[in-house]
Amino acid sequence: MIKITDLEKYYKTEEVQTIALNKLSFEVKEGEFAAIMGPSGCGKSTLLNILGMLDDPDGGSYLFNGIEVAGYNERQRAKLRKHNIGFVFQSFNLIDELSVFENVELPLIYTGVKPAERKERVHEVLEKMQIMHRRKHFPQQLSGGQQQRVAVARAVVNNPKIILADEPTGNLDSSNGNEVMDLLTELNEAGTTIIMVTHSEHDAKFSHRIIRMLDGQKVTENVLV
Amino acid sequence: MISNYLKTGWRNIIKNRGTFMVNIIGLALGIASVIMIMLYVSSELSYDRFNKKADRIARVVFRANINGEEMNEAVVMAPVAQTLENDIPEVTDATRLAKSHNNRLEYNGTYYGQSNMGYVDPNFFQVFTLPIINGDQRTPLDKPNTVVISETLAKNIFGSGDPVGKVIRVTNRDESYTVTAVMQDIPENSHFHFDILASTLGYVNAKKTTWMQSDFFTYLVLKEDADIAEVEAKLPAITRKYMGPQMIDAIGMSYEEFQKDNDLGLFLQPLTDIHLHSDFSDATTLEQGGDIKYIYIFSIVAIFMLVIACINFMNLATASASKRSKEVGIRKVLGSNKKQLIYQFLAEAFISALIATVLAIVIFAISLPGFNQLAGKNIEFYSLLKPVYVLCLIGLILLITVLAGGYPAFYLSSFNPLHALKSKFSGSGKNSGIRSGLVVFQFVISAGLILATLVVKEQMSYIQNKDLGYEKDQLLVVHNTYLLENNEDNFIQEIKNNPRVENLTHSAYVPAGESYNEAGGIFLKGEFLRRMYFYNVDENYIPTMGMELLAGRNFSKDYGNESNNVIINEKAAEALGFGQSAIGKTFQRDTHEGLQDLHVIGIIKDFNWKSLHKEIDPLILKMNPHGGIIIKSKTADMSGIIEVLNSDWNSYNPKEALNYSILDDSFNHTYLKEQKMGTILTLFAILTIIVACLGLFGLVTFTAQQRFKETGIRKVLGSSASQIVALLSKDFIKLVGISFLIAFPLSYYLMNKWLQDFAFRIEIKWWLFLLAATITLGIAFLTIGIKSFKAANMNPVKSLKIE
Repeated sequence: MIKITDLEKYYKTEEVQTIALNKLSFEVKEGEFAAIMGPSGCGKSTLLNILGMLDDPDGGSYLFNGIEVAGYNERQRAKLRKHNIGFVFQSFNLIDELSVFENVELPLIYTGVKPAERKERVHEVLEKMQIMHRRKHFPQQLSGGQQQRVAVARAVVNNPKIILADEPTGNLDSSNGNEVMDLLTELNEAGTTIIMVTHSEHDAKFSHRIIRMLDGQKVTENVLV
Repeated sequence: MISNYLKTGWRNIIKNRGTFMVNIIGLALGIASVIMIMLYVSSELSYDRFNKKADRIARVVFRANINGEEMNEAVVMAPVAQTLENDIPEVTDATRLAKSHNNRLEYNGTYYGQSNMGYVDPNFFQVFTLPIINGDQRTPLDKPNTVVISETLAKNIFGSGDPVGKVIRVTNRDESYTVTAVMQDIPENSHFHFDILASTLGYVNAKKTTWMQSDFFTYLVLKEDADIAEVEAKLPAITRKYMGPQMIDAIGMSYEEFQKDNDLGLFLQPLTDIHLHSDFSDATTLEQGGDIKYIYIFSIVAIFMLVIACINFMNLATASASKRSKEVGIRKVLGSNKKQLIYQFLAEAFISALIATVLAIVIFAISLPGFNQLAGKNIEFYSLLKPVYVLCLIGLILLITVLAGGYPAFYLSSFNPLHALKSKFSGSGKNSGIRSGLVVFQFVISAGLILATLVVKEQMSYIQNKDLGYEKDQLLVVHNTYLLENNEDNFIQEIKNNPRVENLTHSAYVPAGESYNEAGGIFLKGEFLRRMYFYNVDENYIPTMGMELLAGRNFSKDYGNESNNVIINEKAAEALGFGQSAIGKTFQRDTHEGLQDLHVIGIIKDFNWKSLHKEIDPLILKMNPHGGIIIKSKTADMSGIIEVLNSDWNSYNPKEALNYSILDDSFNHTYLKEQKMGTILTLFAILTIIVACLGLFGLVTFTAQQRFKETGIRKVLGSSASQIVALLSKDFIKLVGISFLIAFPLSYYLMNKWLQDFAFRIEIKWWLFLLAATITLGIAFLTIGIKSFKAANMNPVKSLKIE
């Protein structure tokens, strides 16, 4: 599903060049649940951004479903992204001006789904996330756990092949955090590939495989199942 | 998709109510100004266009420069119309119009006071589109002593009865006219308005064959494909052909010889240019017209207003980008492309423009009566509903959407989604550079307008306070005392004896407002010199008017018959070549009985007998009291005198009401156009500074938010509130300062051009710049200061907690 080879990324300021990713290589197969761990500044988020096609690498290869996307421009990346990838962020990143329903509906709008079908699919996923009764509320009216459930709902509404989660429980207490991890596990069991960046060993245990990083390089890889 | 845009747009508006109000109020004021000026300009441009042949009609005018005297007259000689129709093949029709003065109407024993009457050629109704609604449609003026009257006058005199065939009388000339038709009232946007149009067939002046005297407004209808410039090019030859022989008889000089040192000729003026492009002497114009200059000025001001408001929108939208960046980021991550985001932000600008337009229409409706009064117009609210204006408004909304929403849309949508999510875009740099440029632009306009307003006010106050060479205060002019006939002398004597009256002179010649007017050819040793103007006065004129006699003596009854004696002004002494030693010198004037010798007995100091727009011309005072009286009151309150005048007048002549004017008012009326412009400029200067400051206020608010943490840290480290205020205000004040560098030279240049209209004018002094700068800076600082003061006095703990 995802195969990166010798992936490189630099950040330059006027005087200093920082290496964020240093010839990183690994593969994630379809249906896998992979966790990426490492200390702050090791390049986890940079990696996730490149995998999510929010950013482009400075070197190396990135095959997404067998297609080389390393040289894609923003428009091409956006097109591929909206049909295939769902995102879950630590800070939820819901649009405050839109209701729960409207936030979840947004990816469907951008992929051109008709209104009647949109409604049906949003309701379906809200039911699944047990947040249907909150569909008319706005993000600020929800608890953190509820907000993250909405974010997960939004990430899966388009039936993406892969979900990228950036510390999805980072802003949640343990019980809400566990709920979100259970959700992700369910999704994975239903066939969605998941790559999750996390600081939490506890969360990482929900995955099949932990990739540990340091200074932009992979240091170990433990297979849990 | 669109509903999603509108929904987000609307909720964003609700969330940022303050910014939104700033935007909306600014935009609404801008749009209201545009609406008002749009209607005003289109009304001004519509003059005379109701005539079906408007594009083919031209007026023949006379322009000359004779011995330094510039003459621009809208009237020409009686034979011109017929001659041009005969001699120029492109002219298909020619018609004449002469204004008739003093027309007191009487019908069936009832008097109707003064009426607006003109003499017109029988074909007048074929040239101008003045629909006949009753009576002879085709040849209403084909017989002498026939008239066409307006609908209003018909109702006034005849009520519901049929006026056709009835005979009305002009009593003061003892003329009778048969009404042959009733015409619709002449539209407001016509350069002439009459209630009675009489046939020239019975009018003596119409039969004149002289090319040496101008009486008629003359209009030509040209062939469809005729070129007006080509027709005009044929006029000099015709003038030479017909005027030449008469010139030798009149001034003893051939046309060619005369044209060597002088310049004289007939020219054509398109009908549709008359209202806005006329510079003819007041005595030869039908009605005071508009001025194309003011059309330009007001249009530009309206555009400025709109641009300033749009800039507010742009600046506030880009400044508040930090608030929107997260949303942009999320939308991009979820698959929105740049185009979709541009549409979204344009949709928000569209909502704002739409709401602002609705509010602008409300503002327009509320301020319309005031505006009409100010502009002397009769614009009605529902005229805004005409399809063309509705289309204009829709166009305006779209224009504002693109103008105000375009830049923010492109700016916001170009955020990198990663940076946008982390709000990591830079608030400074290129974007804030553009914002600064736009703020400077706004204040260039505001400060420029403030300076312009100050210049206009200064010039107006100069006009008010200038030493005119006479004392215009406490002077009351009573017109047409000749109407009292045999009782005139008794009336004058009674007024003279009134204790409230300080002085009184028997003359109808006044330096401002409605005045008698007399000009004649002046000869020196039998040779034509130039034309000069005469004032017919009595021995009390100079003391009553407070004029200064520089040399010689005043007229006096002690010297017996003074009819050949004159007092001249300094300019006349100069023009005649007499200089200081004019007393005792003799020159001649042209009269019907040949040349008359005039002896100079005195010189008066030059006084502004024309408006301050014009240089002082030579003037000759002649002893010949008639026409009216001028009263100098002892007190500023003249109501007592007016009361006495009224009762005395009514005891002699009940048929017509007393007609008087206060000279000071007439004087002010001369500068009405400039005063109106002053008022309108003041209004717009205030509006633009308000809108610009609204924007500034919004920007300072955002800066204060952006630097919230910084101000907290600084306060913790010991910065005082005033230092924080200075920190937040400095950059903006700098921008306002920069705007002066552009605004003042520009405004100086334009206002100097405006001042050229006045022969007597102020210099734009340094302190006017200082005043304009102080006002602008003061208002700007107040705006910025309020906000930064609030920020500076915030508890620093609050701002530090935010991280």
